[in-house]
Amino acid sequence: MAPFIPEGIVNPDLNLFYALVLGIGFGYVLEQAGFSSSRKLAGVFYGYDFVVLRVFFTAGITAMVGLLFLSFMGWIDMSLVYVNPLYVWSAILGGAIMGFGFIIGGYCPGTSIVAATVGKIDAMLFLLGSVIGIFIFAHFYNSWEPLFMGYFEGNPFIYETLGMSRAWFAFILVMVAVTAFAITQKIEDNVNKTPPHVIEQRPSYVFPGMLLIVSIFAFLFLPEQRKSNARELPPDRLHAMLVENNHFVDAEETIYKIMHEDRNFILIDVRDPEEYEKFALPGAINITKDEILGRRYRDFFRNAPVNSKRVFYGFGESAAELAWTIATRAGYDNVFVMKGGLNGLFDELFNGNDKPDDPLDLDEEFRVRFLTKARQLFLEGDALPKEPPAPVPIRTIIELETPGGRGGC
Amino acid sequence: MENQNSPKPFMNPYLAGFLLGLVLLASFVIVGRGLGASGAARDAMVATVINVAPEYAEKSIYYEPYVAAGESPIRSWLVFLALGVIIGGFISGASSNRLGFKMERGPRISGPTRAFLAVAGGLLFGLGAQFGRGCTSGAALSGMAVLSTGGILTMMTIFGTGYLIAYFFRKLWI
Repeated sequence: MAPFIPEGIVNPDLNLFYALVLGIGFGYVLEQAGFSSSRKLAGVFYGYDFVVLRVFFTAGITAMVGLLFLSFMGWIDMSLVYVNPLYVWSAILGGAIMGFGFIIGGYCPGTSIVAATVGKIDAMLFLLGSVIGIFIFAHFYNSWEPLFMGYFEGNPFIYETLGMSRAWFAFILVMVAVTAFAITQKIEDNVNKTPPHVIEQRPSYVFPGMLLIVSIFAFLFLPEQRKSNARELPPDRLHAMLVENNHFVDAEETIYKIMHEDRNFILIDVRDPEEYEKFALPGAINITKDEILGRRYRDFFRNAPVNSKRVFYGFGESAAELAWTIATRAGYDNVFVMKGGLNGLFDELFNGNDKPDDPLDLDEEFRVRFLTKARQLFLEGDALPKEPPAPVPIRTIIELETPGGRGGC
Repeated sequence: MENQNSPKPFMNPYLAGFLLGLVLLASFVIVGRGLGASGAARDAMVATVINVAPEYAEKSIYYEPYVAAGESPIRSWLVFLALGVIIGGFISGASSNRLGFKMERGPRISGPTRAFLAVAGGLLFGLGAQFGRGCTSGAALSGMAVLSTGGILTMMTIFGTGYLIAYFFRKLWI
């Protein structure tokens, strides 16, 4: 299952080697396409040469259709693929500044590296300018950090933002691209006053164009095979686990683990965030049942250490039981339900006997002492949370993002 | 046939686009991320600043994560990618007889003007790529391939702005 390195199929030590190989392919194609010429690049804005649009759109669509195909087949886990974060106003401002840079400089960073390699002096100067620009950003980082880090909307996909299905968006994008190819060819011929015999000699793009449209159209009718299927627990196994009824953690164990701040015992509050904020058990994190399968928590559940416990709790048991069923069915191990929920826990803590029923029963004696001590701790507030728990780390297999979330071009 | 030393014609743009798409797809499949270029310039700049002016770097919250990481950012994925781009670009240029020092400019501007504009354009692009969290490759191209809203928004503003202002800068190119 792709991607190979985050999935651990390919040795991460070879990461830099693959970077080099991919870079060679990238540089070779860019140069072959004519991207080492600023005049050709700038042509896209003036209608005399649309090579940028053709190469760029074709490449984007090829990769997009490829990813679509792989993910339809369940061969790639899109949750491990880097999806650009959305910081709305920073993205818009950055794009606008880059638009000016493109028109004035005639290159973009990737093409300027290629052009400088083959000896274009203007490209070398462009690269020098880029480094100065980045230095300016870094030097005044304090001033624009609020904008840079603000208006964060997560890592959404465009089809989610637009509220349509992925296949429909891909289909529309392909249609837009094919239309743009046809129209810009006409514009280019008009601007350059291309003689008719040259136009006639061009290869016909009708067949590849139709092939592309038909294949992307087919995606609209394919059922999507979800990645989680691969690890999904079969229903009969889930049923057996439910019958076994081993997935409970009792209140005493919970209290004990809280008092000892066991890092391998993580409490998950499945109630609504408002209730969680009013009160939660010490160290608990809040994941509602709708969020359990989200990409955000996938690594958290999947990479649970062998002897660890992730314990769901609600007011009672039913919500936690539902969360447990969802998580278990998705193939997540080491998940448990806190017996009795919060109500059961406090019942045990505060309504228990102060004195053991049978003074000769040492176990019972210790149990009561333990509960008494725990009660004091809870009442004194020592064990209650003073500050919100640390956020759940995402993506722990390899570092996909550069430090500080400064995503990378 | 054509002269041995004259530059060979460029590749068919759709074929080039298809091949570039395959490279991009391979990057997603193997490494789980797309291609990028401006990040290498950033990492090189950061590494230089940390080595040349460590006191300056230590005082800045921008360099803080890099200083704290300890490892030089020059050994980053994006830097190796850029090294590959240099090698690949050179192979292509050499095999197609396109090597040679040259200042490319529009027909109506002088060499020094073009030199100044190239630096200015690069400066803006480098600055913008930081806000946009990537340039035409990392944000626009890779962002479009994974259908990310962030990447597509940046792509639309890059090209949208370009078309909006192209008329006013037409003397630079036509």
